[in-house]
Amino acid sequence: MFPWPDNDDAENRKKLKVLVVDDEPTLRLGFAYALSSKTTVVETAASGLQALERLAAESFDVMILDLRMPGLDGVGVIEAIRADGNKIPVILCSAALNSAAALRAIRRGVVDFLLKPVRPIDLRQVVEFVTQPDTGALSRALTAARAGRNHEAIEILEAVAAPCQQVRSWLKLLQAIRDGQAGVDDPQLEEELRASLSLLAFNAVP
Amino acid sequence: MLRIRLFYGLLIIVLLLWSVGAAALLLMRDSVNRFDARLRTDYQAISAAQGLCMLSATLNVQYLPALAASPPEQAMERLTYDQLKPQLLKKLALIRLSNIQDERTTRVITHLEQTLTNYLEGYESYFAGAVLARSDSEKLLKYLNGQTQQLTALTEDVITLSEERLSFGTSQLSGEWRKNTLFVVTLVLLGTSVAALIYFQLIRHLVAPVAALHRSIEEISKGNFELTLPKPDPGSEFAKVVTSFNEMASELKVRRGLTDETLMRANMVNRAILESIPSPVFVLSDESGIVQTNPAGENLNESLGVNGRLPLKIQNILDECREKRTHFLPEDPREALLFRINEQEFYFLPRIFRFESEDPSQSGWAVMLHNVTHIRWLDDMKTNLISTISHEIKTPLTGIRMVLHLLLEERSNKLDEMQRIMVTSANEDCERLLATLNTLLDLSRAESGATHLARVPLELKETVSRAARLYNHCAADKQVTLEIENEDNFPKILADPVRLDEVLNNLVSNAIKHSPPGGKIRVRVTKPDAEHLRVSVIDEGPGVPEASQSRIFERFYRAPGQSVEGVGLGLFISREIMIAHEGRIGLRERTEDLTEFYIDVPMA
Repeated sequence: MFPWPDNDDAENRKKLKVLVVDDEPTLRLGFAYALSSKTTVVETAASGLQALERLAAESFDVMILDLRMPGLDGVGVIEAIRADGNKIPVILCSAALNSAAALRAIRRGVVDFLLKPVRPIDLRQVVEFVTQPDTGALSRALTAARAGRNHEAIEILEAVAAPCQQVRSWLKLLQAIRDGQAGVDDPQLEEELRASLSLLAFNAVP
Repeated sequence: MLRIRLFYGLLIIVLLLWSVGAAALLLMRDSVNRFDARLRTDYQAISAAQGLCMLSATLNVQYLPALAASPPEQAMERLTYDQLKPQLLKKLALIRLSNIQDERTTRVITHLEQTLTNYLEGYESYFAGAVLARSDSEKLLKYLNGQTQQLTALTEDVITLSEERLSFGTSQLSGEWRKNTLFVVTLVLLGTSVAALIYFQLIRHLVAPVAALHRSIEEISKGNFELTLPKPDPGSEFAKVVTSFNEMASELKVRRGLTDETLMRANMVNRAILESIPSPVFVLSDESGIVQTNPAGENLNESLGVNGRLPLKIQNILDECREKRTHFLPEDPREALLFRINEQEFYFLPRIFRFESEDPSQSGWAVMLHNVTHIRWLDDMKTNLISTISHEIKTPLTGIRMVLHLLLEERSNKLDEMQRIMVTSANEDCERLLATLNTLLDLSRAESGATHLARVPLELKETVSRAARLYNHCAADKQVTLEIENEDNFPKILADPVRLDEVLNNLVSNAIKHSPPGGKIRVRVTKPDAEHLRVSVIDEGPGVPEASQSRIFERFYRAPGQSVEGVGLGLFISREIMIAHEGRIGLRERTEDLTEFYIDVPMA
């Protein structure tokens, strides 16, 4: 429906399918435009419910999900699809991430956060980070965490010789989640998460 | 009047004195005279009687021997007899003269007269020559002897009588002396009783009024002006005093009435003022509890169910004030205390004022609870409004920014020069607008205050290194070096990590903004007191102008002539955050061309 740049229909290769869910039309437009390429097709949904419909209809490789939406919000969408057994990687995108929502997301294998405002380059990088993880410790750990293997993620992070701030924050958080399995909405955990929340985001200032 | 009485009384005493003296003198002289007279007459009688006896003896000696001898040849010379006879008669006359008092004496004297006459007749007959014979002379001799004996006996009687009279006179004198003594004693007793009378009169008329006056003065000094002294008799020396005193008392009463009236009016004015104040007001004295309150205060206490004392929260603050002896006059409505009245929330800002008087019992505290519920509500509304609007603007702005970035990437279509300039400009505006919105969001977050503060124990050095990491790049761009001076063994602090980051980031970014190129910024951690850790951010910039120093922490305040961008909220937000942390933020006095901002964070 749009004259995508670098869009080559002739290419028959397997393309990356991305679903952008945002209630803001300009952002949908912008995200879709920024991500679309020879290797990537982007579809959009304007609400949480619409997103669930699209996910039910076809499969996607990755979903970029807005947290704040009228009706069903981002966390609601995540909980709904995980309940259906859909393990699609999700990039949660929000102007203001709150620790409760982040904690609920992390518990359901959503470990990629993007803080608005987003630059196109950040967007492309985070999609690449999720779909083609590099061999870095953080990348491997988050891949494990995305698959729900938190113990493996912790092991990988613990093995890091000189952990940077981001690695330390993730390690601390994942350990806290592991140690506090019982309490689903642990207020103290939320408080700890708040401190490092800005560091967890992909486009956080290092 | 009293003077006259006193005069008369003393006059009586003086008269009595004089009369006692005079009477004593008179009586003494009288008795002496009488004794003297008696003595003299009695002595005269006695000496006359003795003389009589002696003269008769002389006669007998002269004439009787001759008579006893032979009868004389010739007639006897009678010269001696003639000489002695008048003397004898004279003596008799003397005796009679001095003894005519009583019957017995008279009888004796008559008898003596008779005897003397007989005696003298005997001699007369002798001289007449009637005695010639021996028997006659013997007879005469016998007769004369008899008469002489009788005479002697009678004179002795006279002497005895005189002596008796003398002794009787003495006893009579002593009897009179007793009478005189009684008389003098009576006079003295009379004088004494007059003196006693005067004494009691003096007490009644002099001492009693003075004592009454004294009592009344004491009463008045106690403030009882109702008392008046009873009016004394006219003419009393105290009449003037009592009148003056009563006048003074009534004058004082009038004055006090005036003062009371003034006080009453002042009190009424005060009450009116108090009642017109819609905020609860309590006045407390140091010793007792609440001494005055206004209807609003009574209502509050009634709704809270605490009659006659302050609500507990307020009492706690007051106790703290009492300890420190300071006022508590907060301005910020966010310091208000929450009260739930009838399931509604009310915010009261307590203002506690100390008033002192020289009399410690008059000192106390005034507590006013300023109802800031409405202000709080408006403030919350404003904060919410800013927050909502900012978010609502931010969301589409994010889209716009995305689109502008995509255009500038020129992935599909190249922009011409003009288009690039316009899109770039739009993008810059967009970034600035986003920055402003973020600041406004920070503001609304800061203003929501401590209620949204999540304080946890944390290492201050981590916060410091986070800030340093965040701004290292930015500092390097301006050729400014960031240096952390820290010791490792500081205890943990109690703070909200996100908010504390905001504060420190703000200080560091300000320092970078104002640093000269090539300058150095030190971020130093110290421990200024037992309860706080301090982070100082020190730069080598030009510093804050003197005139602005007191205002830099105000909302939207920007020092005039600033070239650096900003809306003037950073330090205000930082201060709000530090206040919410019960910490401090401040600007140190400039030394050695260094500007030092510091924050004190309470330790965990």
